[in-house]
Amino acid sequence: MQSANMLLKKIVRSSVLSFAAQHGMKKDLFPLSRTLSLSLCLKQDNSCKPSEKLDLDAWKKVMKSGLQEEVSETVSEPQEHSGLAAARETLEMWRLAGRAVPENMSEEQLKTFMERPSKSAKKKYLKFLYLKELHKKNDKRKMEEKRERKLEAQEQTSKTEETKKSPFVCLWASTMDKAYNWRAAQSMIFGQPLVFDMSFENEMSVQEVANTVKQLVMGEGCNRRSLDPFHIHFCNFKDESLYHREFLKHYREAWSKLLITVTDQCYTEVFPKDKLIYLTADSPKVMKTFDHNKIYIVGSMVDRSIKRGVSLARAKRLGLETAALPLEKYLLWNTGAKNLTLDQMMHILLTLKDTADWKKALEFVPKRKYCGFVNKPVSELKKTLDLMNTLKLEKRQQEVQKKFAKNYSKKYILK
Amino acid sequence: IQPPEKPLQAEEWNKLRENFQSPEVFEEVMFNSMIRCNSHIDVAKSLLTHMAERNGDVAYNMLVKYLTLCVQQGQVSEICDVYDIMKVRFKILEMGAYNLLIKGLSNSDQWRMALTILEEAKKTMIPSRTSYESCMKAASRHKEMKLAFELYHEMLAKNVVPTLDVLQSFFDFSRGMKGAELQKKLFGILLYLRENQIYPHKTFMQSIKQWFESIPGGNWRGHLTTIKDSGQCPVCNHQLEDSDLTEQEYNNLSERIIRDVIHGTDTFRKTTPQEFEAFQTFVENRLPFDIVIDGLNVSHIKPRKMQCKNLFDAINCLAKENVRLLVLGRKHMLFNSSNWKTEIMKEMQSKADFFFAENISEDDPFLLYATLRSGKHCKFVTRDFLRDHKACLSDSLTRHLFRKWQRGHQIVLFTSGEGRPMGFSVFSQQPAFRYDCVVQTTGDTWHIPYKDVFEEKYSYEVPRKWLCIQKK
Repeated sequence: MQSANMLLKKIVRSSVLSFAAQHGMKKDLFPLSRTLSLSLCLKQDNSCKPSEKLDLDAWKKVMKSGLQEEVSETVSEPQEHSGLAAARETLEMWRLAGRAVPENMSEEQLKTFMERPSKSAKKKYLKFLYLKELHKKNDKRKMEEKRERKLEAQEQTSKTEETKKSPFVCLWASTMDKAYNWRAAQSMIFGQPLVFDMSFENEMSVQEVANTVKQLVMGEGCNRRSLDPFHIHFCNFKDESLYHREFLKHYREAWSKLLITVTDQCYTEVFPKDKLIYLTADSPKVMKTFDHNKIYIVGSMVDRSIKRGVSLARAKRLGLETAALPLEKYLLWNTGAKNLTLDQMMHILLTLKDTADWKKALEFVPKRKYCGFVNKPVSELKKTLDLMNTLKLEKRQQEVQKKFAKNYSKKYILK
Repeated sequence: IQPPEKPLQAEEWNKLRENFQSPEVFEEVMFNSMIRCNSHIDVAKSLLTHMAERNGDVAYNMLVKYLTLCVQQGQVSEICDVYDIMKVRFKILEMGAYNLLIKGLSNSDQWRMALTILEEAKKTMIPSRTSYESCMKAASRHKEMKLAFELYHEMLAKNVVPTLDVLQSFFDFSRGMKGAELQKKLFGILLYLRENQIYPHKTFMQSIKQWFESIPGGNWRGHLTTIKDSGQCPVCNHQLEDSDLTEQEYNNLSERIIRDVIHGTDTFRKTTPQEFEAFQTFVENRLPFDIVIDGLNVSHIKPRKMQCKNLFDAINCLAKENVRLLVLGRKHMLFNSSNWKTEIMKEMQSKADFFFAENISEDDPFLLYATLRSGKHCKFVTRDFLRDHKACLSDSLTRHLFRKWQRGHQIVLFTSGEGRPMGFSVFSQQPAFRYDCVVQTTGDTWHIPYKDVFEEKYSYEVPRKWLCIQKK
C-alpha cells in the first residue's frame, strides 16, 4: 500500500494522467487533476458561474482569454524555422487531431519521416512508430506491475519461511548454454551443412533486411537448441553489409563467438555443385525426402512485395538443382504465399532431419495458411478440392452480385 | 449515444458524463454522434462551454469536430470564429482543419478567405485535392476563371490529380463566356484527358458539348455517335487517328520491353541469356511474322477439348494464304501426352513456325519481343491482358504506349457458341482496333470518346461511344 501511495504521488507530480487512468485510479485522481489544470483566470469564471441563462459562446471567451499569455510566449521564442522544426510542429498538430502519431520522435526518425516519398508512406511510417511506442509503454507498465508484485511477494515470503536447500547449484541457464555450445561445436565438425544465401541485400528494403536478420537469429537459436544441429553456413556474406550491421545489433559481442561459418565465398566455391540443392518456393521440382548427403541452400530474403523467381534465378544462373517443399501434397492450402519465414524453414528442416516425418515437420507451417493435413488418396482429395473451389466460386459470384446490388440502386437493375 | 435535443447546463452534462460507461471519451463520442445526427450547433456549443469550464481549455480535436459540424451546416460566421480561435491558439494547423475551413468558406461569400487559408496550408504541406478543388470551384463560380486555372496548373505541377468532377465544373462555369485565352485553357483540359487516356463520363461529355455550342460566334455543333470499325466518323466522315505508334515511340517501346520486361533486374528470372539469344537468332532468321500466337494460352480456350486440338483449330482459323505465323510454346508440348499428340504437333509445325521455350521460362516476353520485332503490321493472339508485363515498365508514359500498342495489335480469340458447326466458326476474333481511342482534334473537329456512368467498365475495355464536334 505504501509503495502504491508513492507511485500515486509520483504520478501526480509528473501529471501523467492517462497513465493513472489505465491503473483504474481515476476516481481518486480526478478532483486533484482538475484543480491542477485549471488556470487562474478560470477560477474567477467558475466563481461567478451560476447564472440562469446559458451563455453558449462562453467557451469562446475562455479560449480567447487563456490565450494572451501564450501568444506572447510564442512570440518571444526565437523563430528558428528549419524544415525539421516545421515538421515537428505539423506532427504535433496531427497528434492533437487524434491521429496515430508517436509522442516522442528522435531527430533521426524525423529525418526518415521527411524523406518518405509520399503522403501515404509518411502516414505508414508514423503509424509504425506510434504502435512501437505504444507497445513499449505497455511493456514498461507491465514490467512495473510485475516488479511491484514481486516486491509484495518477497515481503510476504521473508516473513514466513527461509529458502530450502537443494543438492544442485541453481545454474540452469549457463549450464544449458554450455551444453548447447558443445553440441553446436560438434556440428561444426561432423554436422550436415545448411547454407543461407546472403546475396539478396539489393532486392530488399532496409526494413526487410532487418526482418530477415531477426528471422535468422531465431533460426540460429532453435538450431543451437536442437538435439542434432546443422552446421550453419552464411555464404556470400559481405563484411560491412546491411546484414552485418543488423546482426551486430542483435548479437553484439557474441557475433564473433557464434558457432557457425560465415564466409564471403559463394556456396559453389565451398561445396561440390552436384551436392547442392536450392530450396525455393518457385521451384518446379517438389522435394520428396530429406537427403542427409545433400547440402540445402535457403535464400535469406524477406520479400513483402512478392518478387517471384529471384532465388530461382540465382539457382538457374549457377546451374543448381532446386526443390520446393511439398506443401500442396501434404496440406490443404488455404491462403497466404507459399514462401515461409526463415525460422519456420529451420524448424521444418531440423524436424525432417531428425524424424523424416513430413507431417510432423509441416506442423511448423502457420496454421492460418492451411485448412488441414491431407490423409486421403489424391483422387478423393481432388474431388474435395474441386468442391471447395466451386463453393468458393459460388460465394464469389454471390458477393459480386451483392456488391452490384449495393452500388446500383434498384431502379437501374429494374431497367 | 443519442445527443440531446436542446443545449444543456453544465450540471446536466456532468450527469450524462457520469452515466456514460467510459467518461474519459465521453465528449469525443458525444461529438461524433452529434456530427452523425447533424445536431443543432447550439447543443454543440453548450458542450464546448461545459468543457471549457471544466478543463479551462478545449482540445484541438474537439475544435475540429465542432468545425466539422459547422461546415456540415454551412454556419459561416461560426467557422470564421473557430478559425480566429485556432489562429491565435496554434501556430499552424494540420491538414484536416485546413480542409474543413476551405470547404466551409469556399461555399460562402467569404470564399476569398478560403484562398488565403489555402496559401497558409501550402506552407506546411501539399494541400489535398479536395481543398484545391473547393477553391477552384469557388473561383470559377465567381467568374474568376484566370484564378481557377492558376490553381489548376499549380495542382498539376504538384502531382495532385484532379477529379473529373472539377474538370467538368470548368466547362460548366465557362459556358457562354468569351475569350480566346479561356478557350485555349479549356482545350488544354481536353488535351490533358488525351495525354492521360481518360474518358469522360456521360454528364461530363454533355458539359463539354454544351460549352462548345455556347461559344459566342464559334458555330460549333456536337453530335453523339459510334465510330465504325474502319475508324470513320459517321457524322463528319472524318477518319480518326490510327492506333499506330510513331517511329520513335515504337522504337522506344521495343527497347523498354527488352530492358524492363525481358531482362528486368535479372535475366534469369524469366528466361536465361542463352535461351534469349537462341530465340533472338531464331526470330531474326525468319522475320517478319504477321501473327504471333501464344500457344499455351490459345490451347486452353475450350477447356473440354484436347489442348493441341484447340491450338490446331486456332491455327487453321488464322492461317490464310501468305500469312506467316509464329507459335510460342514450351518444351513439354513436344512430349506425347493425353493433351499433346505428336502427330498433330507435326502437322501444325508444317503450317506455322514454332519456338519452344524451357518449361520454367515465361513465354509472354518472347511473344512481345517477336511481335515488336516483326514490325507495325504484326499482331499477336492471346487472351492474357498482359498486365503483369505492363507493370514491369517503369514509367507511366511507356505504360500508356504499351496500352495503345496493345489495343492496336492484340487479337483475342473466343469461342462462339457450342451449337455451331465445327470449322472456322469455332473461333471468332475480336479484331485489334484500327483507330486510336483517345480524345483527338484536327482544329476544326473534336472527337471525344465517353463512357456511360452506370456501365460496368474494365480498364481494358475502351468506350465505343463518341462525341463528334465540328465547326460549321
